[in-house]
Amino acid sequence: MRLIIRDDPKAVGEYIGNYIAKRINDFNPTPEKPFVLGLPTGSSPIPTYKHLISLVKAGKLSFKNVVTFNMDEYVGLPEDHPESYHTFMFREFFSHVDIPPSQVNILNGNAKNLIEECKDYEAKIKKYGGIELFLGGIGEDGHIAFNEPGSSLASRTRIKTLAYDTILANARFFNNDIAAVPRMALTVGVATVLESREVVVVVTGQRKALALSKAIEEGVNHLWTLSALQLHPWALIVVDEDATAELHVKTVKYFKSIERVQDEVEAAHEALKKQGVDEPVGSME
Amino acid sequence: MTSPNGLICFTNCLLPQEDGALVHKDLWIDERRGVILDSQKTFFLRKERPDRVIDLGGNILSPGFIDIQINGAYNFDFSIYEGDDEAYRAGLRTVAEKIVETGVTSLLPTIITQERSLYPKLLHLLRPYSSTGSATLLGWHAEGPFIQFAKRGAHAPQFLLSAQNGLKSFDEVYGAENLAVTEDWLMAGEGEDGPVGVRVITAAPEVEGVGSSIEELTRRGIVFSIGHSIASTGLATAAVQSGARLITHLFNAMPQLHHRDPSIIGLLGASPHLSSPPTSPVSPTFPTGASALHRVPSGVKRAAAEKGPQATSEAFDDVQTPPQTPVLRAHDIGELSLQKGKVAEMSFERPFYEMIVDGIHSHPNSVRLAYSSYPEGCVLITDAMKILDPNLKDGVHEWRDGKRFVKAGDKLYLEGTDTLAGSVVTLDKCVRNFSRFTGCSLGEAIKCATYNPAKCLGIEHKKGTLRPGADADLVVLDRKGKVLGTWVRGHEVWKRESS
Repeated sequence: MRLIIRDDPKAVGEYIGNYIAKRINDFNPTPEKPFVLGLPTGSSPIPTYKHLISLVKAGKLSFKNVVTFNMDEYVGLPEDHPESYHTFMFREFFSHVDIPPSQVNILNGNAKNLIEECKDYEAKIKKYGGIELFLGGIGEDGHIAFNEPGSSLASRTRIKTLAYDTILANARFFNNDIAAVPRMALTVGVATVLESREVVVVVTGQRKALALSKAIEEGVNHLWTLSALQLHPWALIVVDEDATAELHVKTVKYFKSIERVQDEVEAAHEALKKQGVDEPVGSME
Repeated sequence: MTSPNGLICFTNCLLPQEDGALVHKDLWIDERRGVILDSQKTFFLRKERPDRVIDLGGNILSPGFIDIQINGAYNFDFSIYEGDDEAYRAGLRTVAEKIVETGVTSLLPTIITQERSLYPKLLHLLRPYSSTGSATLLGWHAEGPFIQFAKRGAHAPQFLLSAQNGLKSFDEVYGAENLAVTEDWLMAGEGEDGPVGVRVITAAPEVEGVGSSIEELTRRGIVFSIGHSIASTGLATAAVQSGARLITHLFNAMPQLHHRDPSIIGLLGASPHLSSPPTSPVSPTFPTGASALHRVPSGVKRAAAEKGPQATSEAFDDVQTPPQTPVLRAHDIGELSLQKGKVAEMSFERPFYEMIVDGIHSHPNSVRLAYSSYPEGCVLITDAMKILDPNLKDGVHEWRDGKRFVKAGDKLYLEGTDTLAGSVVTLDKCVRNFSRFTGCSLGEAIKCATYNPAKCLGIEHKKGTLRPGADADLVVLDRKGKVLGTWVRGHEVWKRESS
C-alpha cells in the first residue's frame, strides 16, 4: 500500500486526477478495449472530479472509451431527486466530460427486483473484464462504498441497511429531516472493490483521521471496512495533512520518505508492462 | 451549423433562475423540437448527450424577453389598419423578424382605442403567430376603448366607450368570437404541448359596466388589466378580487399616490388588515351608473380636456384630494404575529404591474419604490410606438393625421409640445435601466422581463423560463446586459456583428 500526503483537498484532487489521467492515457483505451473505472460520490472526490474535468476541457484526457461503474445508490429515491447519486454524478462529473451515456453504469435503486439488479451489476462488471481502477472515498466510520461497519469483507453487490451514523450524517442533505433519509442502499461489496486491479482512495479532513489510522495502522477488521485494503496488492491512499492527525508520527514519516521512490516504482511497473507482464507488480512492501 | 443529433449544450454560462438568481450551469436544448431539455434525463434515459457544444465565454443565457405592451415598431403601428389584411400581416411579420435584436422573443401587439367597428377585424388578425426565424406574436392586448376619459392620455376621446350592457358591450365591440372561452385556434393551447396564445384587455373598472364584467372575462381566460383609470382604492381592490391581475403602465394614466386613498398604485401595498376581512366575505360591488366610488376629476380640467384631441400630461392633471381615509371597520382578530419577517397570510393576491423603465415615464425613485413593495409582480414593458427601432436616428418623424414626433434619445414628444407621446425604449435597455434604478441584480431585472410577464399571462410553462419542456427561446447577454445573440425555438435568429 502507498500513502500519499498532500497539503489540502485541492492538492489531493490534483494528484489523483493526474494519476487517473495517466492510467487512462497509458492504457490507451479503444471501443473494443475500454478502460473500466469505478467511481464514488460524496464530498471528498469533488476536487478530483474538478481536476479531471479541467484535463478533459484542456484536451489532455478523454472519456470516450472509458466505462464507469458507480459504487452505490439509495433505494427508493427517485433518480432525479437532488440527493440521488445519479443526480450527483451527472451534476459533478458526467455532464462536463465527453463520456457517452451508454458507458455509464449506476445501480438502479428503484428496480422492481433489487436482488436481480445487484446480480446483474456484478455480471456486467465481469463482462467488461473487471474494474481496472476503483476510486473510492470513506465515511467517518471507515466505510468504503456503503459497506458499513460489520459488513462482510467478502461481500458482493447487494442491498444494505445504512448505519444510524450515516443516516444522521446524511440528514443535512434532506432538510435535517431524519425520516426523509433513505434507510437502504444498493452498494458494491468489499470483495467487489478488492477484485479491481487497482484501488485509489481519497481521505481528506480531520473528521476522517481516526478512520484512516484504524484502516492502515491496525489489523484487518470488518468494523473499519477500509482496512480490507491491506489485502489488496495495488492500493493507493491519498490524504491531506488534516486526515493524518491520528496517525503515528512514525507512520507519517515513513510514508513521506518512501514517496520519492514512487517514480521509480512507476517506472519499474512501466518497464515490466512493456515486457509483457500484465500483473501489477505490487507495492513497495 | 446544426448538431448531428439535434442536441445543443450551452456551457460556460450563467443561467437566470425563476427566483432571480444567476447560476453557473449548462443548458441543453433540442433544436429540432425547439425545446429546453431535462439534461439529466436526456443523459440517463435517452442515453444521449449533445453533439454540439457552444461555449458562451461566461456570458448570461436568459430566457427570451417578453414584451406584453408594445404598440408598434420598425415603422409599423399595430393600431393602424388600412383595409389590407396582407399588408397588415406583412407589417406584423416585419416587427416579429426585427425585434429579436432587442432580445425580445415573444410580444403582445397592443392596440390603442380604435373606432369601434375596427376591433373585430384587428383582433381577428392578431392571432398568435410564430414562424421560424422570428419572435412569437402571442395574441393581443386591447388598451381601450373602455377607459376613463380623464386619464385617456393619447387615446382618441371620441372613440372612448362605456359598457352599459356589461359583458354584452364587450362582446359587441371586440367581437364575441374574439372573446370566446376557447377559440378555434385554441388560445389556451392544446394541453402542455400546444401553442400559447393570450388576450389582455386594459380597461377602467369605474367605467359603467366594466367592473361587473371582470369576473366573466377572467373566466374566459382573458387577462384583465386596470389602466387609464381613476378607480378609488375600494374599487381597484374589488376589481382585483374579481380577477384583475395586472396594472397597465403603473404611475401613468392613473391618480398619483395619495396617502388617504392610494387608489390603483396603492394595490402594491395592499394591507393584510384590509384585504381579507375575516368575518363576512365582501363581494365586490361596482357602480351601475354615475358613482362616487372613483375620484371626481375637477370640472375645469375636464372642460379643458374636452377641448381637443391634444394629449394631456398624465403626471400632473391631478384630481381633487380625497377628503380622508374612509373609516375602517376595526376587526380584532386576536393574536398578532410573533415571528420576525413573516408577513401575515393574505388571501388577496396583489396584481402584476407594468413599468416603462426608460427613465422618462417614471422617475428611478418611483421605479424602486414600486419594485421594493412588490418585486414578484413587476413586469417591464416598452409601450413602444411604431418609431421604435434601435437603429433610428434622433430627429423629427412622421406619425399620423399629419402629426409629427420628435425623437431625442429615448424621449418622444409631439412636435411643438412637451407632451410625451409614448416610448421608444427597447426592452433590453429597460432591463439594464431597471438594474441600475433599483439596485437589483441583473438576474432579478431579467426576471421582470421574462418569468414575471409569463406568469402574469399564465404561460410560464412555455415562455420566460428555462424549465425543461419550455420553448428554447433564448437571449445571450454580456455581463452589462447587452444583447449578443437571440434564439427562437432552438434556432439562432440574430447575432451581434463582432466589432
